[in-house]
Amino acid sequence: MPWVARLRYGRFPVVALVSLLVLLVAGVAIAVLNEQALKVQTAREAGAQADLLASAVSGALAFDDAAAAQDYVDAVQVNPSVLAAAVYDENGRLVASFVRDGETIFHGAASSERATLFDDGRLLVARPVEEAGQSLGVVHLKLLETPRAQRFGRYAGLLLVLGLAALVVVVLAVAQGALRRANHQLADRAAELVRANSLLQQQMIEREKAEEALRQSQKMEAIGRLTGGIAHDFNNLLMVASSGIELLDRTSDPKRRESLSAGIRQAVERGAALTRQLLAFSRRSPLKAEVLDARAHIEGLRFLLERSLREDIEVVLDLPSDLWPVEADRGELELALLNLAVNARDAMPQGGRLIISASNAAGEGEAGDMVCLRIADTGGGMPEAVALRVFEPFFTTKEVGRGTGLGLSQVYGFVKSSGGEISVESREGQGTTFTLCLPRTDKTPPPPGEAPAAPAGGAARAGEVNARLLLVEDDDAVAIGVGHMLDDLGYSHVRVASAAEALEALDQDPGFDLIFSDMVMPGEMDGLGLAQEVRRRMPSTPVLLTTGFSEAASAATGEAFRLLPKPYGIESLSEALAATLSDPKP
Amino acid sequence: MGLGRGALRVLIALLWSGLLPAAASAGQPAPLQANLEYSVKANYLVRFAAFVEWPPRAFATAQSPVVICVAGHDPFRGSLETAARAQTAYGRPLAVRRPNSREAAAGCHILYVGQGGAGLVPEGRPSILLVTDAAAPPADRGMIHFAISDNRVRFHIDLQQASRAGLSISSRLLNLALSVRGG
Repeated sequence: MPWVARLRYGRFPVVALVSLLVLLVAGVAIAVLNEQALKVQTAREAGAQADLLASAVSGALAFDDAAAAQDYVDAVQVNPSVLAAAVYDENGRLVASFVRDGETIFHGAASSERATLFDDGRLLVARPVEEAGQSLGVVHLKLLETPRAQRFGRYAGLLLVLGLAALVVVVLAVAQGALRRANHQLADRAAELVRANSLLQQQMIEREKAEEALRQSQKMEAIGRLTGGIAHDFNNLLMVASSGIELLDRTSDPKRRESLSAGIRQAVERGAALTRQLLAFSRRSPLKAEVLDARAHIEGLRFLLERSLREDIEVVLDLPSDLWPVEADRGELELALLNLAVNARDAMPQGGRLIISASNAAGEGEAGDMVCLRIADTGGGMPEAVALRVFEPFFTTKEVGRGTGLGLSQVYGFVKSSGGEISVESREGQGTTFTLCLPRTDKTPPPPGEAPAAPAGGAARAGEVNARLLLVEDDDAVAIGVGHMLDDLGYSHVRVASAAEALEALDQDPGFDLIFSDMVMPGEMDGLGLAQEVRRRMPSTPVLLTTGFSEAASAATGEAFRLLPKPYGIESLSEALAATLSDPKP
Repeated sequence: MGLGRGALRVLIALLWSGLLPAAASAGQPAPLQANLEYSVKANYLVRFAAFVEWPPRAFATAQSPVVICVAGHDPFRGSLETAARAQTAYGRPLAVRRPNSREAAAGCHILYVGQGGAGLVPEGRPSILLVTDAAAPPADRGMIHFAISDNRVRFHIDLQQASRAGLSISSRLLNLALSVRGG
């Protein structure tokens, strides 16, 4: 049956099916039993009536009194369900009868057997007439069985209840099926969502990577654009140093020699500070929003700005001390300021002033509090058509080779991603002002104590220590310079040029008090590898690493090795050695 | 209507009696009618055994037959034997006798008093159903007295006499009587 198949296909619950079946069987059984009981009762009643008639007509039959027999038969007519009645004598002759309209007297009357039979809604009853054992004849009665309509009416209530129960079962089952289907769909959708989500996450990771690459290239571009200024500055420093050294050789006046060497040291320190800042700036670092004090930050950047711009450009900072803190990525902010500074420099080929000012802007209505930075130049300005497009990526007014056009789009991207606003104001011949507004944050900036502590003068005096060092350094010039410093500090040392040589030396003489190694060296093993090997072989021997590469530096601190960044002076070397000897782990 | 049905009845009875071997002589209407009348009466005598109850003392044993006697002239010409054959009453067989003395008649249960049979009726009140016939007018009517009414054989019942003899007669029989005396 197709509907059964459909029910099974629709996972019609077996329980529901079974209960439906049980209900049906119970209903049918009750109906059949009732019907049977009713039939038996009807037959009994009809039999009793026939018996009564048979006993009543016995005399009339025995003594041929048809009129009396007819009287008894007529009396039976009072019962409306009696359709016909007949009395036959012992020879099968009809003695008395009555028949209602449309009915017939049945035949086969000669038999005097007791009989009860149902026939098409009629009940036929035959009863022999006997008196004291003498057979006198037979009585036939034809009764109307309970009419079909009446019988159906009797079962209508039962049918109704059965139907209702079936309906409830079916509805429940259908509802359950629908629920199950819905659950299935939901699970499918959830799985689909999970797939879409993982795809999205993958895309987000890829995008993040791409953005990081973009930021890095933006930084590199900025540095490239700074190169000219920095090279110029380095030339000046080298000039100071070389002229100072020459003059040192020519004079023997101790006073003059002291002032010359002070000038040389200052130039070298400035150069070191400049490269340190460049390295820090170019470091590849993940985007991380932190709470910044804009004033302190820009002040810190002043040195790099002054060095990287031309000398004919004056940098003016106008930063109030009560600026609200902002939340932004440190590197991105620096890059944005540098980009704007370089643009300003390019806009002022004849020299001029770069004014960086800041102010608090209290929010009005919906807008929150902002900290606004204004970077203004006194250059040529730009036409409105250009001003409208300055933030578009790859839009540039510079000739090929001088800029990619990514600078201002980095500034725009940084401000937008920090939840801020940027605007540009420019009039030809009257300079350009960029205004960056960053939202104020409720958080407080960390205390400015991260800068390396000021050198504690005289922590180590020459000749006070007596330790043996293994110096690993591939650059001969550096090795000689460091060697002099070590001698001066009172350390004896053995110098090797590579990690392999260092391990060899350690095999022959494991009595070194400290290993002082450069990190980036030619050969299969670098300084970090050497340090790890030493830690494995001789855990008690301390290791101090040094490098000029910022990435290598972070790797060293990640492995919990002490690190001395290049370039370093004798005092910082002394401190680092002393600290490593007393406590090998940072 | 009753008359029409009665006429039909007689006609059927005629046809039925035509089947009897005893009524073989066709073309003699009077004897035929007499034969029919007496065969009906013989039949009735047998039936009375089923509608009358005798006191237990009237029978020697439970299987003792109900004895139907004909006293005096026997008008039945064997039809009584025919009617009684293979019949029973209350589980007892039926027997037909023709006593020729009062002593012999004392063993009867149903006694038909024919022409000249009055002398054989036992004295006292034995439990005997006395049947007399208007066709052989008696000095005294018995408990059941045959008569012809509407061209049919009917009977009168003397219930008083019957109860004096210790007999009880079924109400179904009483219903059919032309008259019932006493009771």
